[in-house]
Parts: sequence; C-alpha cells; structure tokens
Amino acid sequence: MARAFRATTRGYKADLEAHERRLISQLCADVISLLERRGEQITDGAAESAADQGSAAGDDVFAHFRRELAGLGVGLDDSAAAQEAEPAGLSAPEDPVLARLLPEAAEDPQEAAQLRRLTEASLRESKLADLRTARMLLESDPVTLTEEQAPIFGRALNDVRLTLATRLGIEDEADAEQIHQMAGTSQAATTEQFMAEVYAFTTWLQETLFSAMLELLPDDGDEIGSAEEGAE
Amino acid sequence: MSSAHGSTLTREDTDLDTQLRGMLAAQRPYNVVVWNDPVNLMSYVAWVFRSYFGHSKERAHKLMLEVHHDGRAVVATGPKEKAERDVTAMHNYGLQATLEEA
Repeated sequence: MARAFRATTRGYKADLEAHERRLISQLCADVISLLERRGEQITDGAAESAADQGSAAGDDVFAHFRRELAGLGVGLDDSAAAQEAEPAGLSAPEDPVLARLLPEAAEDPQEAAQLRRLTEASLRESKLADLRTARMLLESDPVTLTEEQAPIFGRALNDVRLTLATRLGIEDEADAEQIHQMAGTSQAATTEQFMAEVYAFTTWLQETLFSAMLELLPDDGDEIGSAEEGAE
Repeated sequence: MSSAHGSTLTREDTDLDTQLRGMLAAQRPYNVVVWNDPVNLMSYVAWVFRSYFGHSKERAHKLMLEVHHDGRAVVATGPKEKAERDVTAMHNYGLQATLEEA
C-alpha cells in the first residue's frame, strides 16, 4: 500500500509501490505524447503523425486504457486545416483533453486565438518539461521531492488528473463525487472503473503533497514570508 | 529620426494608428480571472495563489472560496503583458484562467 506524501527534513517523501510509480509514469508519458502530437500538427500541419499513435501501448494490461486516454487523435485533420485558413490566430485543439490542458486565455474567440498563437508553444514546452521531470522523479524509491521539485511534480500530477477527469467526463462537482464513489466501491471491471480508481489515487496523492506544502509555506507577517514571493 | 518617421506617417497612417492603439491598450490594466472547475483541489489552488502571486493565507483562502462559490474571481490586476504572463502561468498549473480589461 502506498504511503502519502509528508514533509521530511530531506524533502517531501511518498512510499509508492513499484507498479504505482510505473502507472503514474506511463500516464505522464501518455500526456507527453498527446502534447507532442499537438506540437507536430502545428509545425507540420500534417496529420500523418496520428497513424502510429496506438503502437506505444504494447501488450501491457493498461493498453486499452491508455489508448482511450490518448484520445485517438480525434479531429487532427480538421484543426490543422482551420489553422491554415486563419494564420493570424491559432484555433483551440479539438481534442477535449488538449483543450483542457491548453485552455483559451480570453473569452473573446478572436483574442483567444491571437493569445494562443503567442503563448501556446511555450505553455506546451513547460508542461512537457514538468512531465518529463516527474517521470524521472518517479524512478526513485521512495519518491523524494525537494522544495524546487515539489511544484513541478505537482503540476505534472495535476495534468494527469485533468486528463483523466476529461476522459471520465467530469464537468461539475456532482460528476466528481460520482467518480469518487465509483472508485470506492468497484473492483475495476471496466476501463471507466479503472480510470476512476486511478483518478481517486492521483487525487489523494496530490492532496497529501499540497497539504504538506501549504503547511511549510511561511505565514504572512513573517520576515521570511516576502522572500518566498514570486519564487516560481 | 523624427523626419524619417514623419515621411512614413502619411503612408502608414493606419499602421501607426493601430500601433498607437495597441500601445494604449497595453497601458490599460487587465484582470487575471480564475474560473471554477471540479478537478483542481482547494489545497492546490490555495497553494498556487499564495506561492505564485504572494497572496496572504487569508486572501488566498478568500479568493479560492470566491472561485468555488461565484464561479470566478479576479486574482490579480496589472499591465496587459504581465496579465498575459500570469494567465499562462495559471494554465501551466492547470487552472482555468482568462484575461479581461479591468
């Protein structure tokens, strides 16, 4: 059984089973390939890269689940064509996971498209860097995070949670509650039940990490408080 | 310098006009708005508000609850370029954020 993140004198530590670390690492890898494909689409404008997308899944037990997670590249051709038609801005990804990971930066669609053209590539690169670092950190047992690594790991874990939540169709608090109930009662007979369990597990991990991190944030009024500002 | 610019003024009147309007827009304050979603944890959102914006514990908590109950909250206000950076940073943390004129 996994033991939650807690603050120690040598960073935040969590004892995770080897298969748990492997699972989270695989999920990070799936989000990485999703983001990389989006980058390739934009630079190449070609849809060929979608063809090999199932091959990485292999024959492990998560293959079906991971294929589902990867979203099968829905709407690649359409969005590439749309981008060519309007070079001034960049349209939002049609894949709901990508749309959630790379959201619109303004409510006005035209302004959002222009902002996306300016910022999406760097946002994608930041997320890719976080996810790759998280995979590296998951190689160690127990998982140990320094103050600098903890937010990076947290962001990557959150992107995994956002991906799972989008695939599970969580749109409001009631959906989220239902998924948590499904995770608590089932024996994971279906892909959805398995995804729900993984979502609940990563949520728990995230909660323990950030509860520990919040406790170590200096209170305001402390002299050291201002030194921490803008540390990101 | 001024004469060279003067000669292009008549030809590229509209361009300069657009540029000027762009510059004025950049001066106007923009709000960074964070939107509610059912996935991001309260502890996570509170941590992001405190560590990224340097908000106090109380203010971060108040803003987090405002997002939760009202569906959105203005978490920072500043020049457009700064607001854009903040919105991208929020997206990097996985929060739903937009910018709007203050």
